[in-house]
Amino acid sequence: MKVKPVNHAKAAEEFIEDTAHMDFHDERLWDLRQKRDEQMHILPEWQELRARASAIKEHTLANLPEYLEQFEANAKKNGIHVHWAADGAEHNRIVGEILEKHGAKSLIKSKSMVTEECCMREYLEPRGVVVTETDLGERIQQLDNQMPSHIVVPAVHKLIPDVAKIFAEHYHTDPNDSSAQSLAWQQRLAARPVILSADAGMTGGNFVVAETGSFVVCTNEGNADLSATVPGLHIATIGIERLVPRMADMGVFIRMLSRSALGSPITQYTTHFRGPQKGSEMHVVLVDNGRSHRLGMEDFWTSLKCIRCGACMNTCPVYRRSGGLSYGAVYSGPIGAIIDPTFNERKYSTLPFASTMNGSCTNVCPVKINIHEQLYKWRRVLAEHHELPFVKREVMHMAGKLMGQPTLYRAAINSTEVALSTMPRFVLYNWLNPWGKHRELPHPVKQTFHSWYKQNRLKTKKKEGESA
Amino acid sequence: MSTSRDAILTRLRDNRPDPKAHPLPPVARLGDMDNGQARFENSLQILGGQVLERQEGDTLATAIARRFPDSKIICSAVPDFDGTIRIEELGTPQQAASVDVLVVRSPFGIAEMGSIYLSEAQLKDLNSAAHLTQHIVVILSAKNLTANMHTAYMDRPEFHTANYGVLMSGPSATADIQGVLIRGAQGVRTLSVWWED
Repeated sequence: MKVKPVNHAKAAEEFIEDTAHMDFHDERLWDLRQKRDEQMHILPEWQELRARASAIKEHTLANLPEYLEQFEANAKKNGIHVHWAADGAEHNRIVGEILEKHGAKSLIKSKSMVTEECCMREYLEPRGVVVTETDLGERIQQLDNQMPSHIVVPAVHKLIPDVAKIFAEHYHTDPNDSSAQSLAWQQRLAARPVILSADAGMTGGNFVVAETGSFVVCTNEGNADLSATVPGLHIATIGIERLVPRMADMGVFIRMLSRSALGSPITQYTTHFRGPQKGSEMHVVLVDNGRSHRLGMEDFWTSLKCIRCGACMNTCPVYRRSGGLSYGAVYSGPIGAIIDPTFNERKYSTLPFASTMNGSCTNVCPVKINIHEQLYKWRRVLAEHHELPFVKREVMHMAGKLMGQPTLYRAAINSTEVALSTMPRFVLYNWLNPWGKHRELPHPVKQTFHSWYKQNRLKTKKKEGESA
Repeated sequence: MSTSRDAILTRLRDNRPDPKAHPLPPVARLGDMDNGQARFENSLQILGGQVLERQEGDTLATAIARRFPDSKIICSAVPDFDGTIRIEELGTPQQAASVDVLVVRSPFGIAEMGSIYLSEAQLKDLNSAAHLTQHIVVILSAKNLTANMHTAYMDRPEFHTANYGVLMSGPSATADIQGVLIRGAQGVRTLSVWWED
């Protein structure tokens, strides 16, 4: 049976029904966006940083095989074991083997989107390994058996009572606890013994430096450092696109990562791992899982520049009002909508349509990925590959005809204005027009720009021409 | 064992965009070059860190006793301060969990971020101590402040030599529960800087 496309619109509709949750979600993420703007305005060199970050990443991707080899050679020199995984299954097998060799039965880990991609927990747990997420948001999601709904703030769609209920069930705390402070303290108390008795620790990696054979991990809670320094075994799972050539390049990225993500100048912890600590063993698993294929996609390879800050999600009106879980994918929001289809074109065929095309995602991206243009290009690819639902296909077909012919388009636009002001509501707000749901159509304008231009500017030009 | 490695590298070589079209930009030294103590303290405060108060006649010991009156185990990683236990006496990474206050010297700080740097050299190979301790007091010299992230990465040799190097910018923090900012999440609950000059 063919896999069914994610019904993003329906899931979003359910999310919108719950006003309290949606309003908080919307406001919280918009607040992050505004904090990001404040930080951006402090730095006059912001646009230069973006341009450099983009150029460094594009250069690295164009030279990725050489930089990966350089990293591998240096990391090995430093005493790191380097593994290569073509896909999620191979990654999981490698991690499973390392743990087995050490007789490790408990693994504490910090947040890693790559392990989500690989469904690592689902692989390890039936094999007798207890995997504990140590990031607070990620732990809440693990206990609630949900995917992270945001790549930086995984449980941002939940309110305090939701967390109190989950903790009561698993940590036997007060189900009516209404204090975020005390809930966070409960997590600290619950996590400490697990951290102290863990056999192995795992982190992701935000950046990999070819020149030094190191990788850099950015967190706020300190949980990655605990996972890496307390047990005697540290495994880092990292996507192959995370390379930068030189340690000196890190300044550009660290100065923008947390400012773009949360509007804080830097994450509380920025940790540079260059080799195992005394008495410990360190492994790096470099994961491809579709990335080398994506590098060959002319219109989409630059999505590999992404540093996972989540700024595009925070600014996106569709994401803010539909929630990350509605995307039904590991990566949600605008960045998810352009990379998810590379994993499964049919399953994620609906996601590039979850956008108003306002271009805000592109404007806030610290590495200048043209996200909204890629969303548009994905729509074309999906149309060509016949992955569009019937109504969308027909409507787009008609729209294509209309926009291809200026006279027809203008006639239609003029009548749209008439329609908006005269048609009864049930004609405008029906199932053929999902945009009408939860949303008022714009007020009709008295005159289109084109007809105004014809009336005024052309006249003026004519006059100027006459007088000259 | 090397089959996936070779397959990945081959596919990358086949698929990559033209390297000549994407030259590497030269290293950049951008932004505010102020490496002053006032800028550092302001940044430190934004990230939730604090300067350990120095009253008339204070030593580090009296300042710590006033700031952390309930602390029982004060662990020293520096030769010029005693504490109740030396970091070298902690046998395993896990044993650091008993520490209330860790005193350690940082080789440099970053004015832009209020960050302090620690590696295995300062932590005497017990890196977990910086994260399992409840509170951390960091001895820092204003002479060792660098202006920003560019100058830090370009000028400090530690990024090329240490196996473990952490920039701590204030204490551990989270805002994962309904966006409420909480200082003191899984790692240190407070971070204080003690100016030694």
